[in-house]
Amino acid sequence: MSHAIKKMFCAVALLVIAGCDGGQSAFSGLGPVSSRITLLIWIMFIGAALITALICVLTLISIAGPANWRHKLTGKKSIILGGIVFPVVTLTALLIYGFLVLKAGGTLVQAENPVHISVVGEQWWWRIIYRHDDGQTTESANELRIPTGRPIKIELSTADVIHSFWIPAYAGKVDMIPGRINTLHFMADKPGIVTGQCAEYCGGAHALMSFYTVAMTPSDYDAWLAKERANAKPAIDNQGEQLFLSSGCGGCHTVRGTQADGRIGPDLTHAGSRLSLGAGILPNTTEGFAKWISQHQTIKPENLMPPFDIFSESELQSLSVYLNSLE
Amino acid sequence: MAEPVRSRLRKLLPWAFGLFVAGIVLVLTIAYSGIYSVAASAGHPDWLDWFFALGKRRSVIVNSMTIDAPVLDLAELVPLGAAHFQGGCATCHRTPGQALNPVYDQMLPPPPDLKTHAPMWTREQLFWIVRHGIQFTGMPAWSGQDRDDEVWAVVAFLEVLPLMEAGDYRQYARGHSEAQNYSIREIVSEGKTKINLTACNRCHDTDDAPPMSPYVPRIGGQNKAYLKRALREYHSDLRQSGFMEPIAAELDDEHINLLADYYASLTVSLGNPARNPSTPKLEPGRQLAEQGDRSRKIPACLSCHGANKRPDYPRLDGQSEQYLRQQLQLLQRGGRTKTPHGAIMTTIAKRLTEQQAEAAAVFFASQPSAEQVGHKAGEGLRQ
Ligand code: HEC
Ligand code: HEC
Ligand code: HEC
Ligand code: HEC
Ligand SMILES: [Cu+2]
Repeated sequence: MSHAIKKMFCAVALLVIAGCDGGQSAFSGLGPVSSRITLLIWIMFIGAALITALICVLTLISIAGPANWRHKLTGKKSIILGGIVFPVVTLTALLIYGFLVLKAGGTLVQAENPVHISVVGEQWWWRIIYRHDDGQTTESANELRIPTGRPIKIELSTADVIHSFWIPAYAGKVDMIPGRINTLHFMADKPGIVTGQCAEYCGGAHALMSFYTVAMTPSDYDAWLAKERANAKPAIDNQGEQLFLSSGCGGCHTVRGTQADGRIGPDLTHAGSRLSLGAGILPNTTEGFAKWISQHQTIKPENLMPPFDIFSESELQSLSVYLNSLE
Repeated sequence: MAEPVRSRLRKLLPWAFGLFVAGIVLVLTIAYSGIYSVAASAGHPDWLDWFFALGKRRSVIVNSMTIDAPVLDLAELVPLGAAHFQGGCATCHRTPGQALNPVYDQMLPPPPDLKTHAPMWTREQLFWIVRHGIQFTGMPAWSGQDRDDEVWAVVAFLEVLPLMEAGDYRQYARGHSEAQNYSIREIVSEGKTKINLTACNRCHDTDDAPPMSPYVPRIGGQNKAYLKRALREYHSDLRQSGFMEPIAAELDDEHINLLADYYASLTVSLGNPARNPSTPKLEPGRQLAEQGDRSRKIPACLSCHGANKRPDYPRLDGQSEQYLRQQLQLLQRGGRTKTPHGAIMTTIAKRLTEQQAEAAAVFFASQPSAEQVGHKAGEGLRQ
């Protein structure tokens, strides 16, 4: 191997390994469904590695081994054992095991009283709708919050093109298809924060369409949901709210408790309490809001919010302070 | 080809090349020596006149072949065309009933009297001339970049010009602006009264009259910050208009502030342009204005153009259907993207279908202008 190729190989390998680390990895297996899938992946991976190694050894023997070994290898018995019996047994075992893993998801499907959430894929963000037991709903965006230890049922749909909803740490990808509602079931074992990503190319800003998933203890979750369900607190910074309403932000964004009732962009009622902005791409801070408002077409090219390069420094500041205060 | 012919051609080649080079050298020598006089006073020799005339005619005919002329509503367009002619063309081309200023008469070629010359061209050809100008003559191109839509008003005017008496013309060119009768003392110090380029009344609305043409926006009662911004943008070539840019170029910041103050506080006592379309026709536009269209990601127009919105956003109520439609089409073509405000509206305009733009124009044109809503003691249309 030449030096350059070696270097490149190392770089790629490092990238691959780095990708397996942290919150957006199919190897982290943080719920019963995904941890079984992870186990299955490991069994397959290690098994395949062992089989490959065995084949290599056999090949070596058949080329350069002692004559009597080579003779044995070409015998009828070894062909029947190694070529027919072995694959049939291993593959059948894997199949049965696979069914068992699937069934683990199946028991979640039948679980009673799951946490019921709808997620709508939009170019290029996520509309998240929490469905309460009393039939009412609370809308949020770009962040999924779930309680631990309870089955979660997510209904996936799309407002425009095909997207794919994927939280690698908890479950496999499920497509969001126009005119259909797909359902995804999973469960989180312990509290934690992981990321998810759109996994089906959906146009311009597809690569910048992620979200955080926050698993919380059931009591924390209930408290959070009650707060999320409430309207926005009356603004302390009146100037910021005034700017928000008079500049037309309310035509696309809802802030419950104000006149802003637009349904085109993300609900901002509690925007300040989320972890990120712009579907997982900016930190949720006053500076983050200012950066989003003044530069979002550079940071997330082609996103569907119009560019607003009209604010003075101080206007931008009050607007950002206001949005950040929407906790 | 036969062999002998080919070899003869080959022999001719160096000669041809030599002649070509000699020609170039001759032309350069003539230019450098200064033998040829470029004096306008010298006039053109007849053969050159003939040559230029041929070139111009053929070029106009050939280049205007692909133009599709729209139906022109003369009553709507002529007043605007006349007012622009007065400000932008009359200096060179004279006005009906007036002799050409001898200074311009000494141009080479001299600008022709369009009363007799306009009928020599078709509608498409007139459009092409006014849009692109004519090389080597001093005839300028249209001053608003990519504003072909504006040129038709001038074409409409040129078509009726041959029939116009001096009095008709003056009436159109002056619009609502009043001719003062200067006393002789004033004439001695101010000069003869004339129709000033920057007299806004020539085209725009007054406290008791609508604009001279539905293609001229109402500005009385418009938001002050918007008026100021619009005039500055015309002044600095950020917003394109062949009508408004030459006027705004003459205004300085002080004038702009005064004019914006004046027009923002102008109370419009006049009703809507006489049209009152039936309600079903208004419905799609009202829907768009009040709710937008979620499927196309269009927010409600009133979330930006309604009451209590930013003063640097324009009000639309009471603006004419023609003006609104024209601006929406301009925005959709990307003709107002050079400013941050224009960029916001461009994003939204591009999401509108043709029918939606039409519906919005019809709806906003049917709304009473903001002032009248105010007059009726706040019983506004909207909350
Ligand atoms: C035409 C509709 C529209 C208007 C008007 C609009 N937005 Fe947006 N906004 C969007 C869309 C669509 C997104 C999602 C962009 C994405 O991430 O792809 C968005 C995203 C945002 C976000 C990030 C939200 C999140 O959850 O990450 C903020 C903050 C925001 N807008 C603030 C504003 C402000 C402030 C204004 C007014 C100055 C405004 N928006 C006007 C459509 C709009
Ligand atoms: C600076 C002086 C000047 C101005 C200003 C000017 N023109 Fe001209 N125009 C000319 C000259 C010079 C010609 C060419 C005459 C020729 O080729 O014989 C011409 C030619 C024309 C012609 C073609 C006439 C013909 O038969 O050759 C038209 C039509 C015309 N102008 C219209 C206009 C209009 C409309 C405006 C205003 C928007 C305007 N011009 C402004 C100087 C001017
Ligand atoms: C020759 C006719 C004419 C005259 C004179 C004129 N305007 Fe205009 N004005 C127009 C036209 C036509 C438009 C629309 C231009 C466009 O398409 O952008 C316009 C647009 C405007 C606008 C933008 C309105 C909007 O809603 O965007 C303002 C402000 C304005 N004019 C102010 C003035 C002022 C102030 C004066 C006097 C100093 C003046 N105009 C003189 C024809 C005229
Ligand atoms: C997010 C805010 C916003 C929304 C929503 C919006 N506009 Fe605008 N609109 C603007 C701004 C800002 C301008 C000024 C553009 C400029 O100055 O170049 C404008 C300008 C216009 C103009 C030109 C006005 C003039 O006097 O020249 C028209 C026409 C218009 N909008 C129509 C609409 C229609 C119809 C809708 C609804 C479908 C709509 N707008 C929705 C912000 C908005
Ligand atoms: Cu995608």
